[in-house]
Amino acid sequence: MGSWDVFIQQLLNGLTIGMIYALIALGYTIVYGVLQLINFAHGEIFMAGAYIGLAAAAAWILVSGTALTGGIALAGVLLFAMLGAAALGSLTERFAYRPLRQAPRLAPLITAIGVSFVLQNVVMLLCGPVDKRYPEILAARQYSFGLVSMTHYQIIILIVSVTLMLGLHLFIKKTRTGKAMRAMADDTQAASLMGIPVDRTVNLAFVMGSAMAGAGGVLFGLYYHTVNFHDGYLAGLKAFTAAVLGGIGNIPGAMLGGLLLGVAEGLGAGYLSSEWKNVFAFLVLIAVLLFRPQGILGTRVVKKV
Amino acid sequence: MLSGCQSASSKIIKIGCAGPLTGDQAQLGMDTCQGVELAVAEANQKQSIPGYVIELLKLDDQHNPAQAVSVAKKFTTDRKVLAVIGHFNSSCTQPAAAVYNEVGLVQITPASTNPAISKQGFKTFFRVAGTDDVQGPKGAQFAAHMLGIKSVFIIDDKTTYGKGLADEFQKEALHLGIHVLGHEGLTQGDKDFSPLLTRIKPLKPELIYFGGIYTEGALLLRQAQALGLHAQFMGGDGIASTVLIELAGTEASEGVFATMVGGDTQKMPGAEGFITAYEAQYGRVGQWSAYGYDSANVALAAMAQAKKKDRASVLSAMRAIPGFAGITGAIVFDEKGDNKNQFIGIFKVVDGQLTYVGPAE
Repeated sequence: MGSWDVFIQQLLNGLTIGMIYALIALGYTIVYGVLQLINFAHGEIFMAGAYIGLAAAAAWILVSGTALTGGIALAGVLLFAMLGAAALGSLTERFAYRPLRQAPRLAPLITAIGVSFVLQNVVMLLCGPVDKRYPEILAARQYSFGLVSMTHYQIIILIVSVTLMLGLHLFIKKTRTGKAMRAMADDTQAASLMGIPVDRTVNLAFVMGSAMAGAGGVLFGLYYHTVNFHDGYLAGLKAFTAAVLGGIGNIPGAMLGGLLLGVAEGLGAGYLSSEWKNVFAFLVLIAVLLFRPQGILGTRVVKKV
Repeated sequence: MLSGCQSASSKIIKIGCAGPLTGDQAQLGMDTCQGVELAVAEANQKQSIPGYVIELLKLDDQHNPAQAVSVAKKFTTDRKVLAVIGHFNSSCTQPAAAVYNEVGLVQITPASTNPAISKQGFKTFFRVAGTDDVQGPKGAQFAAHMLGIKSVFIIDDKTTYGKGLADEFQKEALHLGIHVLGHEGLTQGDKDFSPLLTRIKPLKPELIYFGGIYTEGALLLRQAQALGLHAQFMGGDGIASTVLIELAGTEASEGVFATMVGGDTQKMPGAEGFITAYEAQYGRVGQWSAYGYDSANVALAAMAQAKKKDRASVLSAMRAIPGFAGITGAIVFDEKGDNKNQFIGIFKVVDGQLTYVGPAE
């Protein structure tokens, strides 16, 4: 195995996890865009999405009596997890954040941390404290290109994430609702004066971000084969870092940030030291913020007084 | 339920059990504390400490050293707690031991194998499990002599247990002339080890040795398989668990070797009663259940012999116990509180089953 093969393999490892970070990061960034709220419960929505997908797979086996395999089954599980996570995101917005819309900004932030604890513990009580094994929805298959190996899950992660991100990007750019979101991100008050339904738009931002996280949860479960109720914490933190790295509030920025973070981690752990893997992720963040405090693609916002 | 049948005059004394009861290692803590629970229930039924009802107090340390210290403080403030079974992880047992020592509360760890813990010189510390300065070298000897391993890459999880075990393995491996290609740490709770495994692959080690717990062990196995890294895999008692097979899948875990600080707990001579009772209550006997059960029984024996039912009397009774016939074997404590009777067994995953191979020679 030459050094180029190793490099490409490391790049591929980094890109795979980077795609998942990017999917989660989108949720942080959309919500921040419309509300300037950092939704710290978002990592838990991602984790819950993984569990909802798991429940869907288990329910399928219970009803049909056959093992869940094939591309259609995978699409079904993904869809179910996205819908479930979206519903969960919508509910948290409605009951935890909306009543605090006019409160000082610290209040919803602390609430978000509270929601995160609640979700973690609910999942622990419902699904048990031990690791859950994710079902093999597709038969294990491996592709080798020279000496570089790739599993079919890596290919699926690439395809699904790119499709979802592209879809979201087009939705925000091309539809009326997307336009409303962008308007709210620019100036909430002016947008509401123009007749944009604020509550509905905010809720939709949560729904869409959570759906992405739900899909990310299923992909994460499939790739690593296990899920645990506290998986949302570190993944959420990394994705938040990715969102800030790319410029929080900026959708292509979140995607770029996720990929960059995944690759930085992969190369750092692969070439320097795996003991310091998490440190590399945050080092990249510090380095970028030192020179571009608004993130790579973020725009500097002049504070209106 | 049982306490309802006792006479109103009987007094309550408590035994504590601490380990990871939630999180990725919950299975380990549950195995242990269920063994303790069974021992306590039996003691109450037999009224082995006349005039007293024994209560079990289970606390969760989440395999987090800081949490372990706060759990230990909780035990020490409850005057009725006369002995603690725990903790599970060496990283938790080590700092907690100081807390118990301060108030003279007996602590028996059923599972922490790091040898440094007993070197702190605490009178209150006892250990039923074996130690890694025996387990690590035995593993290296098995790899060299029985598997004919010439080169190894060592990975540990940077914990007191994992790093300690991996270091002991490495020392003996070098001594035996095994080529150590590298030794790297990973972070517990992380999920992606493919960057490290990608780096290991071109080195073509014959064996990967892992000092750590099954959660990370299973991920390493899966990711090594996905990368086409075909090396034998070996670890210590932390991966000698059926959960490893469940999480990694039968294909990736096939052929994995693990040393264990004891023999086959499914077929212990004289333990048929324990196995039947345990299975009726909780299902299959876990890898650590019998150690929890034995640890609790030693503590209960000391509590029965103690003249006064307080911590000081239980401690001197513990110190005076000459030996105890447990279901995992004879338990004889040396002056450091370690079990003199060390036995290292070898397990292998065969056809998706964790199979006992025999004693490590």
